[in-house]
Amino acid sequence: MKVKELLAHGFEALALPDGEREIDGVYIGDLLSWVMGRAQMDNAWITIMTNVNVVAVASLADTSCVILAEGVAMTDELKDTAQAKDVNILGSSEPIYETAVRLAGLLA
Amino acid sequence: MKELSLNILDVAENSVKAGASLTQILLTEENDVLTLEIVDDGCGMSDDVVRSVTDPFYTTRTTRKVGMGIPLLKLACEQTDGELTIESVTEEEDPQGHGTHVTATFNMNHIDFTPLGDVSSTMLTLVQGHPDTDFLFVHKRNGSEVKLDTRELREVLEDVPLNSYDVMEWIGAYLREQYEELP
Repeated sequence: MKVKELLAHGFEALALPDGEREIDGVYIGDLLSWVMGRAQMDNAWITIMTNVNVVAVASLADTSCVILAEGVAMTDELKDTAQAKDVNILGSSEPIYETAVRLAGLLA
Repeated sequence: MKELSLNILDVAENSVKAGASLTQILLTEENDVLTLEIVDDGCGMSDDVVRSVTDPFYTTRTTRKVGMGIPLLKLACEQTDGELTIESVTEEEDPQGHGTHVTATFNMNHIDFTPLGDVSSTMLTLVQGHPDTDFLFVHKRNGSEVKLDTRELREVLEDVPLNSYDVMEWIGAYLREQYEELP
């Protein structure tokens, strides 16, 4: 499934420089250093962290997109950096578990 | 990082890479505030570089685009309402007094405070990996302190390398004993 296809399923595009990327699996975590070593390439990464370091970790782990759950607010700094560094960021108004369940259904 | 001690290791490695002959790692607990200072006499950084090191996309390595030591330390202290400051003097600016001074403050009673973790292991790892440079570690709490100064060890040990098995064992026990007595 492509990242941009999530937009038809209740996910909001917060920064979408490369919507054509394929999603392969999901990783969930908020401790950035932990995610850095464990998220796999092409994973959709669900988090509630909105620090600019999120973009760096997504870039390092080469995830297909970051999904900000719980409707957390996006900062301009995060949005601009994501665009500049080619990192997709989507928003979900649902809590992390519900977001993951929805993704599981879509990726099955 | 799950523990600040791993973050300290990461940042102290930068000091060693900057050619420091002495790297000081100072932890001071006062009331609910923990102050971490990493002070080195390495080559220092220009103002531009100092500004960019908190940017996660800056690194001194060439193998990857991003360096996360300082950005993660900054995040760890800011999420407890603390702050991170970096002062640096380059070799050109001052051939005698150059180096970098990183200061991070943490509110230890904040719910998002990252536990300090095993700093003794951090010190052992640093000494083991860099037996020819010196480290001063001081952790102060409630008027007492834990201290390790490799310059003092070197004087006593003369030609014995600091990373030899017996010396590492001794340093580990020495730190452990002091921590047991720290109130």
